[in-house]
Amino acid sequence: MQQVNERKITRRMNIRILRNDISKYIFLLSTLFGLAVLSILIYRIFSEGVGSFNLDFLTGKLSTQPERAGIMGAILGTAWLMFVVAPVTMFLGVGTAIYLELYAKKGFLQSFIQTNIANLAGVPSIVYGILGLTVFARAMDFGNIVLAGGLTMSLLILPIVIVASQEAIRAIPSTLSEASYGMGATKWQTIQNIILPVALPGILTGAILALSRAIGETAPLVVIGIPALLIPFPDGIFDKFTVLPMQIYYWTLDSALLAEYANLAAATIIVLLIALFILNSTAIMIRNKFQHKF
Amino acid sequence: MKLKKYFLLLAIAALAAILAACGGESEKGSEQDKAKGDGSENEANDETNPSTTLDGSVVIDGSGTVYPLMARIAEEYMTNEQEDVSVEVSRAGTSAGFKKFLVENGTDFNNASRQIKDEETAEAENLDLEVKELKVALDGLTFVIHKDNDWAKEMTPEQLVSIFKADGAVETWSDLNPEWPNEKIKPMGPNENHGTYEFFYENVLEKEDLVDSVNLQQDYSTLVNLVSEDKNGIAFFGFGYYVNNTDKLEAVHVDFGNGAVEPSLDTIAEDGDYAPFTRPVFTYLNVNHATAKPQVLDYAIYLMNNINTFAGETGFAPIPEAEVNENIQFLNGLKN
Repeated sequence: MQQVNERKITRRMNIRILRNDISKYIFLLSTLFGLAVLSILIYRIFSEGVGSFNLDFLTGKLSTQPERAGIMGAILGTAWLMFVVAPVTMFLGVGTAIYLELYAKKGFLQSFIQTNIANLAGVPSIVYGILGLTVFARAMDFGNIVLAGGLTMSLLILPIVIVASQEAIRAIPSTLSEASYGMGATKWQTIQNIILPVALPGILTGAILALSRAIGETAPLVVIGIPALLIPFPDGIFDKFTVLPMQIYYWTLDSALLAEYANLAAATIIVLLIALFILNSTAIMIRNKFQHKF
Repeated sequence: MKLKKYFLLLAIAALAAILAACGGESEKGSEQDKAKGDGSENEANDETNPSTTLDGSVVIDGSGTVYPLMARIAEEYMTNEQEDVSVEVSRAGTSAGFKKFLVENGTDFNNASRQIKDEETAEAENLDLEVKELKVALDGLTFVIHKDNDWAKEMTPEQLVSIFKADGAVETWSDLNPEWPNEKIKPMGPNENHGTYEFFYENVLEKEDLVDSVNLQQDYSTLVNLVSEDKNGIAFFGFGYYVNNTDKLEAVHVDFGNGAVEPSLDTIAEDGDYAPFTRPVFTYLNVNHATAKPQVLDYAIYLMNNINTFAGETGFAPIPEAEVNENIQFLNGLKN
């Protein structure tokens, strides 16, 4: 037996340990980088916006005078927009996912559709805006009302909802549906009683995350043409509207006219962040609470 | 299992409830609709009574330069005059705005920082649209430079033109004046969507091409930031965007032959010393809409009555009362 060369081994060991440490710090640094940027962003927004963030601002009407301006119109506009987006995307998205996963025959057509849905998820949002302008605002003559904006936003997040729902359906063990078929249930009965209830938490998580993307989008609405000054509150889905990110966009641009507009934009970002935080925590709660383990 | 299902249903119901509550005010909405119905009947009965409650919307688009003034008056109208009328003001730019104005069921007003063009008038005639030009204020085309730029504070119109002209043979400040730094000039301005660009191109450059290196932007805020960060930057835009940024920018004093003139509300006024670079700004009214929709006409009259009150605070010089009155007379003639 050859004698073990202790010195050689120790040297190599040290190099390996060093490499191990270096890689650890590289990954730590990349994590910290994101966190640092985020905290700078949040610090800046809060230091600029907290002065304007009060009850009057939350409940007030839009105004060209910063000290009187309020954001309620945009909050209601965002809510009405979601009122259109949520049911439309849920219905179309879950429907498509069920068809593709449970009905469609595996073959060329199915994989063709699948690839295209994946591609659509990567299409820039402004392209959906142009589509919405052409189809909903012009061809169907809706103009720049909530319905047109909502349908456009639905198209934008539809691929995300479809993919998330498909994943949720695919994650169900086949033993469950096979047991249902074994008991003599039809396909629809199985979907209704077994697949949808079990997949729902996953579907809802995906849908809520997609909704929070729609809440933050500006580009499609810029294309559809949201007025820079719109004071009355929207009363329904056939009214003109503005949303939180649009108001952030306009106030940021207008800070060239009046510096105080920048504070209003920051305060609006706080409102938007709170809304997104609530939505995302709801998604996490649903996932944790109703997740099925088999 | 069953319990969980109910929880889930509850969660969905709660979500729906939150959405509905946020959307809310649907009841209020229907009440308002009723009120609206009443309002329109009233106003049909006696249209000439100025205290009539009006409703509906007035849609305004066009120049970003004129936007602050028009938005200010629109807000005043909605808070003090007709609360149920929604005046929507957008700012796509003068030329982009005309494209939305000169169509079937287009916008009611188009703000413009230049006069309507012949082809645009022709388009209006094609569509059987009667368009009324309303001069609303005077604006001084202002050239701005960086705060630390202490050499180019005074220039002649010829020097300014040679900076922006394609074959002006000027690349560095020292090309203009040997005593100035030998650094590249960075000319900037608003892009072709803007009437300010067209005014500059047609009236200042006299339709000669712009230099290739010019940086044209859609948003005035971008221009303000670019020049405030670049010692060699020079940009042109309406006086209003300069007067609100005097802490970041310096205006070039222009020597038209009788000494350098600083653009200010006094010098850009009617017959002021800054007159060569002063231009009227307009809003164009769709007269067909004004006769068909009482709220559009009412707003037009309110606009003209109050235009000079708000011009100053948004960075514009007022126009002579005689011109205002002429337009008010025309608008009153459209009643009934």
